[in-house]
Amino acid sequence: MSATPTASAAPPRPASTPGPDVVRLDPNRHVPGVRRPGFAQVLHAEWVKFWTVRSTGWSLGLLFLLGAGLTTLICWAVAEDLAAGDTGESPASFITWGLLFSQLTALALGTLVVTSEYGTGMIRASVTAVPRRGRVVAAKALLLTGVLFVAGVVTAVIGYLGGNWFLDREGVGLALSEDGVLRALLGNGLYLAGLGLFALALGLLIRHTAAALTIGMALVLVVGNLAYALPGTWGEWVAKLMPGNAGGSVAQVAPFSGGAVLAPWTGFAVFCAEVAVLLLVAVLAFRRRDA
Amino acid sequence: MIVARGLTKTYGPKTAVDHLSFTVEPGRVTGFLGPNGAGKSTTMRMILGLDRPTSGSVTVNGRSYAASPAPLREVGALLEARALHPGRSARDHLRWLAASNGIPRARIDEVLDLVGLEAVADQRVGRFSLGMGQRLGIAVALLGDPPVVVLDEPVNGLDPEGIRWVRRLARELAGQGRTVLVSSHLMSEMALTADHLIVVGRGRMLADCSMSQFIADHAASYVRVRSPRSAEVETLLRQHGLDVDRHDDELRVQGLDAAGIGELVGRAGLHLHELTLVQSSLEDAFMTLTADSVEYAAHPTETAGALR
Repeated sequence: MSATPTASAAPPRPASTPGPDVVRLDPNRHVPGVRRPGFAQVLHAEWVKFWTVRSTGWSLGLLFLLGAGLTTLICWAVAEDLAAGDTGESPASFITWGLLFSQLTALALGTLVVTSEYGTGMIRASVTAVPRRGRVVAAKALLLTGVLFVAGVVTAVIGYLGGNWFLDREGVGLALSEDGVLRALLGNGLYLAGLGLFALALGLLIRHTAAALTIGMALVLVVGNLAYALPGTWGEWVAKLMPGNAGGSVAQVAPFSGGAVLAPWTGFAVFCAEVAVLLLVAVLAFRRRDA
Repeated sequence: MIVARGLTKTYGPKTAVDHLSFTVEPGRVTGFLGPNGAGKSTTMRMILGLDRPTSGSVTVNGRSYAASPAPLREVGALLEARALHPGRSARDHLRWLAASNGIPRARIDEVLDLVGLEAVADQRVGRFSLGMGQRLGIAVALLGDPPVVVLDEPVNGLDPEGIRWVRRLARELAGQGRTVLVSSHLMSEMALTADHLIVVGRGRMLADCSMSQFIADHAASYVRVRSPRSAEVETLLRQHGLDVDRHDDELRVQGLDAAGIGELVGRAGLHLHELTLVQSSLEDAFMTLTADSVEYAAHPTETAGALR
């Protein structure tokens, strides 16, 4: 057989030179199924991967416990003071308070979806099965945002029901119909989904669980809060534009009095843009680099 | 069929693969041989689209790996390093792989059965022994029933029974008309499986030939001759145009077989005490061929000196 790449398509050699190499194998001869798998198959594969590791269950369980549980707990603790007007804060600021902690689990989940593959070598299997790397990221991103959105909304609604029960007892409850309540409950899902994507992008860029997680948490929590210490309007803008601060405002019925934040949807738009840029850089790097 | 043309990969100043060109033909087992660090794994990673060649190209069945719509149906690969999550069960690992290439679930039980892992399929792979991990890797490689199979050091960690099984499997796959590329750093392993050899050292091609050609070219053989009158025997053999090397009282003769030498000496009325055909092993041939390209060589004399 000649060395040209097209030789495999050439007709079998004459009978004078028999040999097993004249057999042409059809890739689909024994294994039926989808012949030209597309995005749906990749998404299905990511779905199986996502639910067959323990970290997913742990992260989502913690997300719910921290989000709904801590919201209920803080409302129980502050309801009396709120009713007496001692706190200087609005009850609306507490009704999604657990998000402060549940966002950590969204960061962890988003990071692990990528870095656990790098840590274990799985990434090689992933890109051999699906060499179109952009497709792998797209499937991961869609799955992650979908799951986090649902988990975020469910958590916020349960937290609202639990926390509001205590607020109601003191007469400072919030009706669902009140301004911004529904938006904030929905915003919890949106913000956590965006944060998951943010972590996924960091994971793709850094490829190491501990490092990616540390940087993600530092950016969202530590740097985000420290930025409020910056002087002047310039400093205030930096603080407002930090991803956690910009994105978080859509998930709160009313901000706490301490730090200035952007209007909910403006902030969320800024946050989305930031995530999009980071994700774009991450995908470009992922496609270029050796796996 | 796998075709590499001028395949090169550099990492900074280090050249891992240096202008490799070869063709891996279907219907036979091609052994990919070289010492550790010779660039075998890097080459295989480039075949699978994991690493991007610095220059040159490699195609599988006429196109680059990444261009295949369902690569697992076209190329099955066992990579040297483990590529799976220890927390996932063997079955779940195969499930996501099958899903990604549109392969029906029934095929998962087929390959589990084929590699003998059906009993432990639902155990987490983190608990698997090295040998079980290799078997799972081979199950992954065969999942899509691919016409091209690439196995990187497949016998690593296998017990003797498993090693025989892999050899048989490789031969069987080739017998079915598939393209089979098997890498190893052990010549003895290749001698038992491969029909064709590609030998690399420091990223460069050292040999690309059939196994029999390799033996003829590189496995040196000579006839050992001992005689009480070895000086006379030496002169006699040289007169007949044979190559003679003297090592103490032993003569190493090349150019004629043992029977011919015996007759020559006999006709001259000389006595022989020994007449033996000595054939160096394939292992030796491989060692000689790759001696200059071993990256991490031990220096036994120095070590011995230090211990004394």
